[in-house]
Amino acid sequence: MRRRSFLALAGMAFSPSGCRRLEHLGIPLAVHQPGLVEGHRLRDGTPLPTPTRELRTGVAILGSGVAGLTAAWRLARDGHDDFLLLDGPEPDGNAAGGRFDSPSGPLLHPCGAHYLPLPSMESRGVRELLFELGVIEAEPFSEHPRFSETALVHAPDERLFFDGAWHEGLLPTEQVKAEDAGQHRRFLAEMADLTRRRGRDGRRLFCVPKALSSMDAEWRQLDALPFRDWLVARGYSAPSLHTWLDYVCRDEYGAGPEHVSAWAGLHYFAGRGGHAANAADGTVLTWPEGLAFLTRGLRVRVPVARQQAGHALRVDETREGVRILCQDAAGAFLVHARRAICAMPLHVAARVVPHLRDYGFDPARHLPAQAPWLVANFLLDGFPAEPPDAPLAWDNVIHGSPGLGWVVSTHQWLRAAKPAHTVFTAYRALADQAPAEARRQLLTLTGDELLELAAVDLKQAYGAFELWRRTRAVHITVRGHGMAIPGCGSLTNPGLTALQAADGRLLFAHADLSGYSVFEEASWWGERAARLAANS
Amino acid sequence: MHPPQNAAPPPAGTRLPDRLLILSVFVVASCGLAYELIAGALSSYLLGDSVLQFSSIIGCYLFAMGVGSHLSKYVDDRDVLARFIDIELLVGLIGGVSATLLFLLFAWMAAPFRTALYALVFILGVLVGMEIPLVMRVLHKRQASFSELVSRVLTFDYLGALAVSLLFPLVLAPKLGLSRTGFLFGMANVAVALWTLWYYRHEIPRLRSRLTRGALVMAFLAGGLVASEKLTHWAERGLFGDEVIFATTTPYQRIAVTRWKDDTRLHINGNLQFSSRDEHRYHEALVHPALQTLPWARSVLVLGGGDGLAVREVLRHAQVERVTLVDLDPAMTDLFTRNEYLSGLNGQALSNPRVTVINADAGQWLETHSEVFDLIIADFPDPSSFGLGKLYSVPMYRLMGKHLSARGVLVVQSTSPWFAPRSFWCIDATLREAGFHTHPYHAHVPSFGEWGFNLATRQPGYTPPTTYSVPTRYLDAETTRLMFRFPPTCSACPSIPITSTTSAWCTTSSRTGATWCADESVKTWTFS
Repeated sequence: MRRRSFLALAGMAFSPSGCRRLEHLGIPLAVHQPGLVEGHRLRDGTPLPTPTRELRTGVAILGSGVAGLTAAWRLARDGHDDFLLLDGPEPDGNAAGGRFDSPSGPLLHPCGAHYLPLPSMESRGVRELLFELGVIEAEPFSEHPRFSETALVHAPDERLFFDGAWHEGLLPTEQVKAEDAGQHRRFLAEMADLTRRRGRDGRRLFCVPKALSSMDAEWRQLDALPFRDWLVARGYSAPSLHTWLDYVCRDEYGAGPEHVSAWAGLHYFAGRGGHAANAADGTVLTWPEGLAFLTRGLRVRVPVARQQAGHALRVDETREGVRILCQDAAGAFLVHARRAICAMPLHVAARVVPHLRDYGFDPARHLPAQAPWLVANFLLDGFPAEPPDAPLAWDNVIHGSPGLGWVVSTHQWLRAAKPAHTVFTAYRALADQAPAEARRQLLTLTGDELLELAAVDLKQAYGAFELWRRTRAVHITVRGHGMAIPGCGSLTNPGLTALQAADGRLLFAHADLSGYSVFEEASWWGERAARLAANS
Repeated sequence: MHPPQNAAPPPAGTRLPDRLLILSVFVVASCGLAYELIAGALSSYLLGDSVLQFSSIIGCYLFAMGVGSHLSKYVDDRDVLARFIDIELLVGLIGGVSATLLFLLFAWMAAPFRTALYALVFILGVLVGMEIPLVMRVLHKRQASFSELVSRVLTFDYLGALAVSLLFPLVLAPKLGLSRTGFLFGMANVAVALWTLWYYRHEIPRLRSRLTRGALVMAFLAGGLVASEKLTHWAERGLFGDEVIFATTTPYQRIAVTRWKDDTRLHINGNLQFSSRDEHRYHEALVHPALQTLPWARSVLVLGGGDGLAVREVLRHAQVERVTLVDLDPAMTDLFTRNEYLSGLNGQALSNPRVTVINADAGQWLETHSEVFDLIIADFPDPSSFGLGKLYSVPMYRLMGKHLSARGVLVVQSTSPWFAPRSFWCIDATLREAGFHTHPYHAHVPSFGEWGFNLATRQPGYTPPTTYSVPTRYLDAETTRLMFRFPPTCSACPSIPITSTTSAWCTTSSRTGATWCADESVKTWTFS
């Protein structure tokens, strides 16, 4: 394993900044806040350091999340050699993973996103990557590619704690009133119909990548309407459906259906429509380390010499190209590049690129709201007891909980017996209050209070005694600016439209350009930037 | 209705009856703790996780005692002695049979066991909780000073607890077993009732009926004490049908060996694994059709099959130089290596120098080793849970394929084509999905019924052997020919679409992609 990806896996263990080591009931608790120190220094206008060395390259890629890595992979794959991938404060970004060294061996776990839906026909770059990584085994660009069953989520995949007991699937059906169950069916049928429908321009109404969705005004006007209002207008009143969609929106977008636009809410259901030769529709792809499996696959395909530690502090355009002031552990340095791809979140770009307004993006007006997230990994000694008729699933969700449930990192292991140790990864979007307010509060929380927020579902499912009895270590990743929320107006945000079209010395590549954080969107913008940068 | 207190009280100064009550406190306290320990030990033994079982039992019991103490205030002052005796009889009866009752319940009906356990513990706790308050009230009425009374009663209460807490783990549980210990303490409670009844016979209403009841309960418990060993055997027979000669619970499974006349049977988690009367049919069919066609085979891998019976058949082939057995459970392979009788069944195969025994999860071992084998035999338990289902999945068969030499053969025990046809044909389809050519076959094993196997090869063209170079009891040319034939019009052989939808067909119970196969007998795996 290369040193850099080892560091990425070891996560906070070697992170020089933004990490707190605490304890709860004698259990070691590590709190990792990627990018917090670096980001807040920029925000607070800390004086810039003086560079002591210089680097020259053709294309500088600033940030190594999914967009940056995809751009680098694409350039390398097309035979380009004259580029430099700058890690940024958190390599792999929202797709980062981590590792516990348990007594029975290393256990990988996600620190961010943990699954990928079956890709849409239009996500050609993603399909190409999956084929190269062996996740797609045959016919990568067909309607029904054949996927590796190592990555297709194993049974049982989902269960829901509803009305005091666990049930299969995440949407309760047999446990609710017949009328409500009828609404569930109607909703799912309507979503299946929207998945197939095309607008007047012949494009699919909703598509991943978002940029290929229909421009049909009749449907795009749904961008102005909150998803909840759309549901009510369509006669969807079943409380169980609303609770489920609240969960779906928070899980996907970091905010509830009252904040998310109807266009975005429908896009989640109707945007992909991917199939598999050997799996049912709606199946997902997952790995013990989450999407870090994919970023590792991308990273090993980028020559080590093209990768550079450090993060950008300031980007200026010069007569010759772009000058980037960067900082790494050894100090500050300048990168002179012909062109640069800003593969960083937009709230960071707003600080790093002082002339962002010249590109048509005014941070004060165009920056999307960003949801704060917690990703908490619990290293467990043995598995908590489960009811015999409802075995532990890969994804375990509690109906109506503020948490987003937890996934089991060892679920995909080929083991007949349960392993001696496992990792439960619990997710929580702090959607109860306005994002900025939630972020302010996050900064003041103690370790115990963070744990209280992160462990809400596990405690409800197993009880505090059973949970803490089994827990050997906890690692919480705090993502204050976890993901852009596709609220009303996101689709027509002129700032985003301008950055999407940018083709100057600066190019932009990040899921933020789509207004929400999804692997395929980041990959799309990374591909686009690489293509444009290579052509110049 | 209170009978008149016409009998003369015992003369003042006669302290014997009161001393007797104090002695009763000692016995009652011993019994109270004993039932708690029995319930805790029994549930740990049957359900595992002793910390959880003991703490929840103790919690429930202590809480119930509190409820009992509270309820004791509703007992009328005039009835205290009579109620105490009634409660003793009831505690003796319920406490006495508790262990045996729970054991029988567990054997025959697994589902309501926890409910019954906690209900029983709660009822006992309530009754035991009433005992000491009632005794104190009896004694208090007899003019003992309150401070002395409290001190004496509680002293003997705690002494009784100490006695049992030492006796129970050191003597009673190991020597008598839980059932008989229960009956013994039940009898002690009844004895307290009887002697109290006798000494206060002048104060107790309806003496005769109480004496009769006490004697009946005593006789019943004594009968139980004598018969409890038989009852326990019945319970195990309820589970397995035969007498259990060996049983153990490992972290992975419950292993039980039963014997009836010359028939020895192995059960794992209550499922029959083999019967010594006809296991040779199963194991000959599992091994020889493949190995007979591989005269060049030097190395064989057996996955599962910790009973060593498949290895015994493999070792009959002299060309095989090394056999590797990978079984999850060390208790299983130890049992069939060390136990004289059971290792006799496999002809000491697991001690053979050609054999290497490894205890590991098959998937883990295959992932972390690179050895290549000429024959792989997958003799796993039926895919009746999600965990076991992974052993029958495409990734697992692909992994096995990586450990197979170019002309190597994989044989998979594939459940019954008769009782679980969908599982059987799903395994066939899964093997094909994993890139194998399959040759399904079946053999008649009376204790199992019609049983199925799948012989999988990398290259097409396998021909079943027509002669065997090793001694066989079941297989011959004709049997072998028939084994590879399936009736053409057989409702038990559904046509499985061997196309891209195989996995979907196999996974109707869940929106999963992985190919899973399962025994229809298990609820979560219903195929519609």
